[in-house]
Order: sequence, then C-alpha cells, then structure tokens
Amino acid sequence: MGRGLTRRVALIVVFLVCAVVVVRYQTTQSTAESRIGQPFVPSPKFFLDFSPSYRATIADAYWLQTIQYYGEHVQTDQKYDRLKPMLDLVSTLSPHFERAYLFGAYALLDAGLGNDAYRLLERGFARNPKAWTLATNAGILIYSYGPEDVKRDVATGWFEKAAAVPNAPLYVSRIAARLLGEGGEVQKATALWAELYATGDKYSRERALAGLDDVLPTNAAARREALEKVRDLMAPTTFQELVKALVAG
Amino acid sequence: MRTALNVTGLHKTVIVGFRRRRVEILRGVDLAVESNEVFGLLGPNGAGKTTTIKVVLGLMKPTSGQVELGVSSLERVGYLPENPYFYSYLSGREFLGFCGSLFSFAPSMRRERVNALLGDVGLGDAADTQLRKYSKGMLQRIGIAQALVNDPGLVLLDEPMTGLDPIGRLKVKRLIQRLHDEDKTVLFNSHIMSDVEELCTHIGIMSNGVVVWTGTVAEALDQAPTLEAFFMKTVESAS
Amino acid sequence: MKQTGAIALNTFKETIRDRVLAIIVLFALLMIVGSLWLGSISLGEEGRVMKDFGLVAVTFFGLVVAAFIAAGLIHKEIEKRTVFVLFSKPVSRAAFIAGKFLGLALTMAVVVAGMGLFLFLVAWVIDGSPTWMVLAAIGLIYLQLLVIVAVTIFFSTFGSAILASVLGICVFVAGQLSTNVLSLTRLGENAVTEALSWVVFVLIPNFTAVDVKPAVVGEQAADWGSIGSWCVYLVAYVVAVLLLATWVFRRREF
Repeated sequence: MGRGLTRRVALIVVFLVCAVVVVRYQTTQSTAESRIGQPFVPSPKFFLDFSPSYRATIADAYWLQTIQYYGEHVQTDQKYDRLKPMLDLVSTLSPHFERAYLFGAYALLDAGLGNDAYRLLERGFARNPKAWTLATNAGILIYSYGPEDVKRDVATGWFEKAAAVPNAPLYVSRIAARLLGEGGEVQKATALWAELYATGDKYSRERALAGLDDVLPTNAAARREALEKVRDLMAPTTFQELVKALVAG
Repeated sequence: MRTALNVTGLHKTVIVGFRRRRVEILRGVDLAVESNEVFGLLGPNGAGKTTTIKVVLGLMKPTSGQVELGVSSLERVGYLPENPYFYSYLSGREFLGFCGSLFSFAPSMRRERVNALLGDVGLGDAADTQLRKYSKGMLQRIGIAQALVNDPGLVLLDEPMTGLDPIGRLKVKRLIQRLHDEDKTVLFNSHIMSDVEELCTHIGIMSNGVVVWTGTVAEALDQAPTLEAFFMKTVESAS
Repeated sequence: MKQTGAIALNTFKETIRDRVLAIIVLFALLMIVGSLWLGSISLGEEGRVMKDFGLVAVTFFGLVVAAFIAAGLIHKEIEKRTVFVLFSKPVSRAAFIAGKFLGLALTMAVVVAGMGLFLFLVAWVIDGSPTWMVLAAIGLIYLQLLVIVAVTIFFSTFGSAILASVLGICVFVAGQLSTNVLSLTRLGENAVTEALSWVVFVLIPNFTAVDVKPAVVGEQAADWGSIGSWCVYLVAYVVAVLLLATWVFRRREF
C-alpha cells in the first residue's frame, strides 16, 4: 500500500511540474510581434480558380483575420498595409457579404484610404442593389469627405438610389429629399417629400411638410401649381390635406 | 490450512444503458477457498461468476465488500479468461515470452518456463507459429499456458475446457490435477458437471449474485444422485 | 518500468507490422517525389519547393498514422479482451498507457525517420549539398506528432476509436491556430472572453511558437534557444496528457 501511495504521489508531482511548464511557456509567449501583423493575402483570382466550393469559407477565414488585423493595428502602429487586399479578397470571394463592405469602408477610412473606402462601397452596391445601407453610407462618405464641388451632387445621387430600394427606411428618403432641395432639384425634391407625406409616419409627414415648405415657391398659385404635379402620388383626401396645409387660403 | 481467497459481502452494481439504469450483479457474495483446493464455481448464466472473478482480479472495483488474496499479489495469480483472444501477430512462444516479461523473474528463467509450458500444453511444435493460425483448441491451451507462466499459487480458470477436443480436455485435466499435486489452489468455472465432479475437491453454487451453497463434492453427492441434479435442485430452491 | 518496456515492445511489434502503415508511408514517399515535379515549375527553386512540400507530406501522413493508429491502441485491447490477460497480471494502468504510447512512439520514429531521411537525401541530390536543418525540422514534426498520439490516446480512454482520432486531428488543427487564440486573449473587451481564451490557449498544444521553415530553406538562421524551450514544452505537454489519460483509464472497468 505504501509503495502504491508513493507512486501515486510521484505521478501527481510529475503532472504538476509538467502542467507548470506548459502554462508558463504559454503565458510567456511574446506579445511584441504579432503574426497577424503580416498576414499572407493572395490574389482573389487564385481562389476563384482554385477552390470554387470553399470560397465562402475562405472569405470567412479572411474576414476573421481582417477584424483581428485591423484591431491589432488600431491599438498599436496604425499601419494597415494589408487591409485593402484583405477586404478585396473577402468581398470578391463573398460578394454578398454586406457587413464586409460596411466595416471595410470605415476601416479603410480610418487608414486614410478614403478613395478605396468609397470604391469598396460602390462595388458593394453594384453587386447588391438591394443593400440600401451600402448606398446610404456611400452617400454619407462622399458628403463628409468628398471634394467640395461634387460632394453634394454625388451624395444626392446615392441617397436617391438608397431611397429607391423598397424597404429602405424613411430617413433615407428624407435625406435624399433635403439634398435634392438644397441642390436646386425642386421637382425631384417635391416628389420625394410628397411621397414621404403620403406614406410616412407622423414624424415623416411633419418633416415632409417642412421640406415642401422650403422648396416650393412662396406664391400661393405657383405653390398650388407645383403641388398639382404630385397629385397622383397619393390618395385624393391626402392630397387635399397636403394642399390645405401648404397653401394658405 | 491457509485461505487462498476470501471474499466477504461482495456487492457490485453497474450502470447500464442510456437511461443509466443501476443493475446489481453481485448481491453479497461470500466465498472462501482454502489453499490447495480445486474449487469449482458453478451457476447458471448471469449468476455473477465471471464478475466475481473480475472483482477478485481487480478488473472491476467492488461497490462494497472485501477481497483477500492469500497469495502476495497478482504476481502469484494466474487467470484464463473465457473465450480468450490473444495477440494474433505474435507466435505462441513470443506471446508466452511477453506474458512472462510482465512478471519479475529473470529472462533466462522465463525462457525455460516458456519452453516447459509449451511442452506441457502440447504446443511445442506450433510454438513459432503466429497465434492467428491457431485453432480454437490451440488458443485455449496457449491461454492456460499464459495463466501458468508465472508459476502462480492461485489459478483462476474461466471455462477452461471450452473448444477442446477429448485429447485436449484430458491434457487440461491432467494439468489441473498436477497443479493440485503441486499444492496450488485452482478455482474454475465450468458448465460441464462431469469435469467438475472428476476434478474438484470443493464446489460453490452461485445464483442471482449470491453464493447459495458451498461444500465438498462428496457432500453434494450425498444430497442428490448426480452433481447435475444437486446443482438444479439448489438453483431452483434458491430462486 | 519492466512492464512498460514489455508493453511498448509488444505495441511496436503490433503497429509496425500493420500493412496500412506501409501503404501510408508509400503515399508519403510518392508525394515527396511528386513535389519534385512542382519544383520543376518553380523557376529554379526546386530545392525550396521540394523541401517545403516534402515536410508537409511528412506532417500530413504522420498525422494520419498518429491519429488513427493511436485511437485504436486501447480499443483493440478492450474489444479483443486482451485487457483481461494484461490486467490480471501485475500491470498498472500507468504502465499500460505509457507502454502503448512508447510503442507507438517507436513506430512513429521509424516511420517519420524513414520519410525524413528520404526527403533529406532527395533534397541533397537536388541541392548538391546536405541541408541538415531538414533533419531538425523532421525532429520537430516528430515531437508534434507525439503530442497528437498522446492526445488521441487520452481521448480513447473514454471515447470511441473514431471519436478519438477525429478529436486528435481537431487538436492538431487547433494547435496550428494557436497564435490566433493568443491574439483573442489580448482583445481586452470582456474579462470572461479573455479568461476563456487563456484557458483554451493553454490547453491546446502550441504548434506555432517556432517556425523552422525559413531556416530549412536558408532564409534565416535557426534560433536554437527557442527551439530548445519549445521542445521542453512539448515534452511536458505529452507527459501531462498521458498522466491525465492514466487517471481517466484508472476509473475504467472491464
């Protein structure tokens, strides 16, 4: 019995020593250089030729790597050399992965690659014409960071496209309408505000009224004439209400 | 007279099946085997004979109860399992050599012992043939040989006559007789009553996880015309 | 110790005679030869490509041997009931586990050394001079495979043979992603995630700590200090896992 107990104790001691070695080795792994720093990013074409069945899986693997890579460099040196190729790879292998375009655009923006960010969203919307978020964010991006002379017009185009997507939220239409009005495209703006008035919630109707009030001529007759052009966009009673609200007398 | 094996109040419960049902296989086995006895452990299928042997050998842990071996340790115990299967890629000699190497005696002694045993069980000619080419009877005999390789004081044989032809059976019976003559203790399970009657000095009858009767073969035959009749009567009255 | 040696030798005899092993080794050698063809389209980098792909072949086929044969070691004994013969003799569970591991380790040494030597010689012919680092790389691959053998044996003490081999392969893959798990521990977002990541990182074997390939293809000198401490770590890991396997196996009844 004594010998058995001694052997058991010896085995436990050996186990503990080995466990300590293992834990110590792992916990002292260097944090200085991260392997994520320089990920290997082949051209998307390589995978398109090579592995048609596993594109999505490879895209997912690189997506995880992209997030890690970005996070790692945001906290350290703010150098993102491989970010664009990684996002290109993910978006090419998984062209309907909307989140990749959205996150990718803002990450690229952070990396000082505004043009690449914009083009990523552009490509994303081209491949996903129902993704109103991509169009909306392209509009926001260009409006916030684009060249002064074109940003309003280009952004307006994006918001129009976004608003045209069937399930896009109302605020997108409101932004589009506002921009159209500010850009002098009165007819388009009027139409969009009118649509919002006809189909929107209480808040949207209030904004629509305010928006129409801004873009329509102040003269009552001219105002009434302009409103006639949008009569067919809503029910007769709704139209009457709209006219009553906007045209005094 | 020293006790070779003493089992007291042995209980063994196992958990079976998906629903984790508790099944009590041994319900308080009491068994005492004295030195130099040839003890026949009898019982219907499922009585718990093999489980008792497994607990004695440490292959299973008892739920409660005690096992005392009269010999010092497993160094002095030999065991032949039921329907044995061995390492088919080894020859008879290699297999016995391997079994011998698990004990603490010198290699030269081991070689001598292996050669002697191969002769005793009649496998001298097939010693260097791979076990995969052995017949059932030959496997049974090599199994008995491996149970004796360490010159045990206590030998446990589970159905030692299975698969043997009459010559093989005779050889094994002579071997058991010789073990008895050499002051060893033998405990074996068997369903063949004629063998038990011929070889055993004592018998124990198990039924439903308990030992219901122990005594000498003569005492059993006093109570019934044949050992088989006594066995049937005892098992029936126990259930 | 004596029983461990006897069981190890018996296991070696059992595994080295397995015909499947010969077929696997044959395929590995074919793949090494096949990598020569790849080298021929590598624009003068035959040696580099051949060594790289050759090491991959040794790793892959070594893994197949390690995971599948290790998984069957204990199961065969239980299924064929040779455990009754073994444990009715004064053989401890620890000696059994250690013996099984050492026996297969010996077989793996023969197999990996065979494939490795072949690769080394072919590389020598291609390059015109010996690349000793190939042998070091083979040695490190061997150590990693021993980890998988130990892990697979551990899983086989309580799971089926198939489950054990699949889990063994999963652990190998997880070990290759060790660095990724390490980076999860540094996210600093959530204490629970971080703690969990640390636990996973410590539990899975670290197969990414050292990369000798650049040294093999002559791009940089080997860091023997790192290699040495990695080896110590891998050995400690193997011993710890085998002891755990013994502890589980003790509770097993037959």
